[in-house]
Amino acid sequence: MAEFTKAEGKKKVLRREFLTGSGVALAAGALAVSATESAAAVLTQTPAPTAKPSYEASTGYLVYDSRLCLGCQSCMFACSTTHEGVANPSLSRIQIIRDAPSFTKYPYDIVMSVCRQCVSPLCVQNCPTGACHVDAANGNVRRIDQSKCIGCKRCINSCPQRPHRTIWNSAKKKSTKCDLCADAPYWSQQGGPGGKQACVETCAAKALKLVKEAPSQLDVAGYDVNLAPPAKAFPKMAPKPAPKEGA
Amino acid sequence: MANGYAGKILKINLTTKEISRLDTAQYEEFGGGTGIGAAIFWDLAVAPGDWDLQDAFDPKNVISLMTGPLAATGVPGAGRTSICGIAPETFPTPLFHRTGMGGRFGTMLKLAGWDGVVVQGRAERPVWINIINDKVTIEDAKSLWGLNTYETQGQILSMVGGRTRFGEEWHQIGDDYTTARPQIVCIGPVGESMTRVAALIHGSGVSARTGGFGGVFGSKNLKAISVMGTGSIQTADPKGIVDTRISHILGKGGAAAGTAACMPCVNSDRKRDSYYGGESMCADQYWFMGDLMKGADVAIKWGICTWATKFGGAMENKVVGAPALFKGRVPMEPGMGWYIKYLYELGVLGPGKKIESHPLPMDQWDKLSFREAFCDAIARKIGIGADLAEGTLEAAKRWGRLEEDLNSGALRFPAYGASWHHTLPGVDWAYSYILTSGDPMWHGLMGVSGGGGFGGGPSTYTAEQLVEMMAAKVVPFTGDPLMFSNSWKGEEARKTGIYSEHKAKLVAWARRYNEFYNESLSICEMMLPNFIGRSANSIAGPSPELEYSYYQAVTGNKKSLADTIEIGRKIWNMQRAIRVMAGRHRDNEKFAPFMHMPGATFMSLGSRPVYVDGKWSFENQDDMYLDKAGVEEFKTHFYKLEGWDASNGWPTRKTLDGLGMKKVADTMASRNKLGV
Repeated sequence: MAEFTKAEGKKKVLRREFLTGSGVALAAGALAVSATESAAAVLTQTPAPTAKPSYEASTGYLVYDSRLCLGCQSCMFACSTTHEGVANPSLSRIQIIRDAPSFTKYPYDIVMSVCRQCVSPLCVQNCPTGACHVDAANGNVRRIDQSKCIGCKRCINSCPQRPHRTIWNSAKKKSTKCDLCADAPYWSQQGGPGGKQACVETCAAKALKLVKEAPSQLDVAGYDVNLAPPAKAFPKMAPKPAPKEGA
Repeated sequence: MANGYAGKILKINLTTKEISRLDTAQYEEFGGGTGIGAAIFWDLAVAPGDWDLQDAFDPKNVISLMTGPLAATGVPGAGRTSICGIAPETFPTPLFHRTGMGGRFGTMLKLAGWDGVVVQGRAERPVWINIINDKVTIEDAKSLWGLNTYETQGQILSMVGGRTRFGEEWHQIGDDYTTARPQIVCIGPVGESMTRVAALIHGSGVSARTGGFGGVFGSKNLKAISVMGTGSIQTADPKGIVDTRISHILGKGGAAAGTAACMPCVNSDRKRDSYYGGESMCADQYWFMGDLMKGADVAIKWGICTWATKFGGAMENKVVGAPALFKGRVPMEPGMGWYIKYLYELGVLGPGKKIESHPLPMDQWDKLSFREAFCDAIARKIGIGADLAEGTLEAAKRWGRLEEDLNSGALRFPAYGASWHHTLPGVDWAYSYILTSGDPMWHGLMGVSGGGGFGGGPSTYTAEQLVEMMAAKVVPFTGDPLMFSNSWKGEEARKTGIYSEHKAKLVAWARRYNEFYNESLSICEMMLPNFIGRSANSIAGPSPELEYSYYQAVTGNKKSLADTIEIGRKIWNMQRAIRVMAGRHRDNEKFAPFMHMPGATFMSLGSRPVYVDGKWSFENQDDMYLDKAGVEEFKTHFYKLEGWDASNGWPTRKTLDGLGMKKVADTMASRNKLGV
């Protein structure tokens, strides 16, 4: 699963990998639109975007190797812990979905759901308040300003990925999304596109990586890349002594 | 609620259909996991005094599935589920036993807002328990009864979360969302029919194997427990958890990385894990049949305990002093499957033989179809299956072979019907067999050897360097390197070796550490402790400081490392009290005869440090066996060290009061079970 090519493009493309490429909000499978009162008020006053604007590309992208992933959820716990201060996979901006107990076979047993920092971010485009924005101060990562978010869920419903990569925080009634740890209050390292990400650093399988160049936006192959298991992923056991014969 | 805990424990009485909650806070002094499970068992099953604790299938039996405070916090290997209750598998009588399983059940249970589930009573008809955050229901399992464990989980999945397309949608629960699937623990036909060799199965092969708790589920008409959760766990130091996690991954101090959900773990293989029977560790190797998970697949599907019914071992070897009739093929950890083949080759078991093998096709013992027939016969208790369903030693007893085969070691079951598992020459392991309820399943000190062993390590250090390094780690018994001497011959064994006061300290420390960190914080014991450094320039591994750091970061508890080991002592004594109330006495704590004869030790992994005539060295101990009188001397040392009555092994009031367990002491005194 290296660079996307035309030849690879003929491979079976799972439904979840298929992108519409459209700015139209996708209803199927997404969160139901249940805007709060304040959000509804804003929505009635805010005209939907009529033209597709262009955005500065992010200077950082998370790529992953879904064959290498262990499905251990370390990245998910690290994400919610560093951003929210609590352990809660539902609040994690990276979702590792493992199909136990349906027993889907490897490598289709795990789906890695990572925000793509889209070159054309529909979440940004469709946000009625500007809460979801391109953060020029942090390498153009796509972020949601919590103080401006009104909980309308437009970013969630407009995310073209399945499952959607924008996350709903029911306690705060606001949306969040991956910011490459640019704003992670419980992360003791420098985050953002120029720094380190908690998910990458806590991945024991080395199945996550930050890259600078925008991956192909055409399908999942641009992001689900070969991160080749390191030769010594884990310390080797000491050699066992040879079995002894008799006394 | 305290950091790391969900704050409440789910209590379900299947007889009355009452669903209630216990405050975790009232049990926090016992840490979590088995510690809390044992304390609850005391309150619900022992203290009332209306049950003799003898029948594991009695509705009064209380089975708990508990997590620890580190579960669902991102601490690697800490998402395990600890299970305890009266276990049907032990021999000759059911004993209080604890076991555990990895997987995601424990993590999901915490996220649903529960530190554990406690089940008592017996449902009138088959049921399953459905937990979705705070909503808990007892569901009809009529359509699930008789299904294998894969079918059961698949059916429940379709009922609980089946409309959500895997990998494409979020599943809505109230105002919250999750991409996760329900996590299910269930039994197969072998558990439904209340055999003594049934496991609890979770996922494609994670299971709680020892103890036979699958039969306890069966006796309660409980087919499965399913859980989905979307909640949060508060921790004291979120930054500290992630920082510790990263230093752990980077191998600071030589640690191997672990994973957050306890599965798939670093020792595992995801490709294998996604196949039926594959989500497993070494236990299922004894059922593997070469090609992927054949064999193990059958066992997990039927819900049989792969450990109790092992067909072979990871290794087979000649054992020093073993009877010639073994033909040089003594497996490391033989079980029921191996034993019936042994009897078949002896000519005493087979069609028309003294032990009738019907319906098992013994001539096809090495075929997959035999494994199916084996499980079917046991599940339906037909023919030889009726004997096997009662466990290996009970079957041997019915066949009149128990004494002979325990003497020869053909039945390599050191105590209480638990099969041989490393056991010797690591005597702390062997002693734990008789002091608990069989196999302690704790590899913590296996690496304390020369030339490898579990945990590996450079073989360049001397025995003296090794024991001095270890002597600094075993708080509060620091400064006594003789704790690690494995001298087993002559006067040295009694003075400084395996029968000495020094060894009693090591076993006491091992039990305390294990009960707190592995059984109650529920950290995978294959991951931590890790005492031996893997780096070229350091002999010392990261334990116990690493696990202590995790504990502090999650809970914010100000307890010292010594304090945590003391909690382990409290948990250890709570289990001791339960066992005493169920009949435990010094006289019961004995090894099977073969442990006192040449051939007791299987090939050891590495050489052990020994102290002889004032000098340390490494010694190959493949020929070790135990002296009966020496073991009795050890027991006396151990009981005295623990503050137990040396004449019967019962805890004294002073000991229990000192641990804050006055109520336990009062109950024991009222039933004449208190030591003096």
